[in-house]
Amino acid sequence: MSDLAHDAALSDHGEHESTGIENRKLGMWVFLSSEFLFFGALITNYLLYSNRGGFEGVYPSEIYDIPFTSVSSFVLLMSSLTMVLAHNAQSRHDQNGARTWLFATASLGAVFLGGQVFEFTEFIVIYDMTLSTNPAASAFFVLTGFHGAHVAIGVIMLLSLWGMSRRRGGLSDRQGLNLELVGLYWHFVDIIWIVIFTVVYLLSTPPT
Amino acid sequence: MSTEHTTDHPTPSQYWKIAVVLAVLTAIEVALFYINRELELGPLNAVLLISLALLKFVIVVGWYMHLRFEKSLLSRFFTAGFLLASGCYLVVLSALGIVVIRGG
Repeated sequence: MSDLAHDAALSDHGEHESTGIENRKLGMWVFLSSEFLFFGALITNYLLYSNRGGFEGVYPSEIYDIPFTSVSSFVLLMSSLTMVLAHNAQSRHDQNGARTWLFATASLGAVFLGGQVFEFTEFIVIYDMTLSTNPAASAFFVLTGFHGAHVAIGVIMLLSLWGMSRRRGGLSDRQGLNLELVGLYWHFVDIIWIVIFTVVYLLSTPPT
Repeated sequence: MSTEHTTDHPTPSQYWKIAVVLAVLTAIEVALFYINRELELGPLNAVLLISLALLKFVIVVGWYMHLRFEKSLLSRFFTAGFLLASGCYLVVLSALGIVVIRGG
C-alpha cells in the first residue's frame, strides 16, 4: 500500500482501514445484513404454518390482541427516536443528553419486553397455547421469542453504555462509536419488528 | 466518524418530525386492519400494508440508521443481504405454494 493510501486508511481513531469506514462499523453492517437471513427463515417458517389447518389447539391468529400489539409496536418505534437522539447528543458531546436518551431507549425497550411477556403469558395461561400446541404456535413463539431475545440483548447493551457513561462522566470518542454500533443494532431490531407486526399480526388469516 | 459521511445528519427536530411520520404510518396500518375487517379489501389490503411497512423500513434505515448519509459500500452490503434473504425465501414460499400476498 502506498504511503498516501496508508494515510487515508487510518481513521480518526487510529484504526487501520482499507475501505474508509471503521472496521467495527463495517462489521456491524455486515452482521445486520446477515441477520436478514436469520429472521427471514423464521418469518418464512411462520408463513408456512400460520394458517395450515388440521392441527389441534388454538392458532395464534385467532387470539391476537391487535390494539395491545399496536401500542407495543409504537413503543418500540419511539425507542428508535430516543436512540437516534442519544447518538445525536453524543456527537455534539452533550454527555448528559446522551445518557438521558440512552436510558429512555433502554426503558422503552424494557416496556416492549414487558408487553411481550404479558402477551406470551396470556396465550399460555388463558388460551392454553404453548410452544408445542401446533406448528403455527411453535412458529409464532420461536419468531417473536427470538426477536424478544434480540431486544433483551439490546437493552443490556444500552444499560451497559449508560452505566459506563455515568461512572466515567461521559463516553470517549471510541465509546461513542460503541454507542453508534449499539444504535445500529437497535434500529435493526426495530425494522425487523416493523416487518413482523405487518406480516404476523396485521396480515394474519384464520386456519383453513 | 465524520470523514465517511457524505452530508450532514438530520437535526433533533427533524428526527422528531420523522417519528411523527412513522407514528402516523403505524396508525394508518392499524386503521387498515380494521377497515379490512369491515370491507374485506382482498389483496389490496396486503398490498397497502406491505407498502406501508416497506416505507417505514426505508425511513428508519435511511434516516435513523443514517444509511443515506453513509458511503455506498454500506448500502450495497445491507441491500444485498436484504435482497438475498427476500429472494431466497420468496422462492421457498412460491415453491411450496404459499401465496405471500393474501387478502387478510
